[in-house]
Amino acid sequence: MSYQEKKTIISIVTGLLILIAYFTYTYTKYQSGVVIEGDLKFWATTILVFIGIGIVATIIIQIVFHILLSVAIAVQAKVKDENCDDKEIEKTIELEMVSDEMDKLIELKSSMVGFGVAGAGFMLSLFAIVFNYSPVVMLNIMFASFSIGSILEGFTQLYFYRKGINHG
Amino acid sequence: MAKKIIITNEIRKLRFFANEMTQQQLAEKVGASRQTIISIEAGKYSPSLEMAFRIAEAFNVKIGEVFDYEVKGDK
Repeated sequence: MSYQEKKTIISIVTGLLILIAYFTYTYTKYQSGVVIEGDLKFWATTILVFIGIGIVATIIIQIVFHILLSVAIAVQAKVKDENCDDKEIEKTIELEMVSDEMDKLIELKSSMVGFGVAGAGFMLSLFAIVFNYSPVVMLNIMFASFSIGSILEGFTQLYFYRKGINHG
Repeated sequence: MAKKIIITNEIRKLRFFANEMTQQQLAEKVGASRQTIISIEAGKYSPSLEMAFRIAEAFNVKIGEVFDYEVKGDK
């Protein structure tokens, strides 16, 4: 499995964990009766907090992943050749993490899927208001669609890495 | 409607004749990842013209010796 695929899987897992944590937290709060129906301030605050947690968690997990991957590559290089120096190991790590035109094309095509899902979710949230659902439903649909869009973007990337991709 | 073109390549053969050059070595020469070279070799990705020239240069051959095309449905 390539570096890009591993990175994408880490992003998908992070996104899924954040989404599950959000729905578990809000469902528990809602069931316990702490949240009053239509309390927009609570939902807006919760969503903002989870967006913050998502950003921080993504950064931390990516840093940890890169450190662990670098260590793994260094260990592999040492096992292969005991006499290899730090410069050679650094070069191996750099080569492993190189991003080229295919990665950019895959990123571009996958982001279209992500934006598509997010856009559809936004439209759906507007329809929810049109059909007299609470603004809380609208907020949740929007948050879920942006999160799911990001996760699906990751799955699309994995699909392209496995199946291949063409221009146009 | 334009006919579909399938781009084929001789990278595997050229690597063999270049002293069994590894995919990683070729990737280093052309400034791409090994994953990309694997995909190009398997016909899963058609590289940009720039990368195609760089691959040809890595083997010291003309681009036509590395890449060719087939028109789908053409017998």
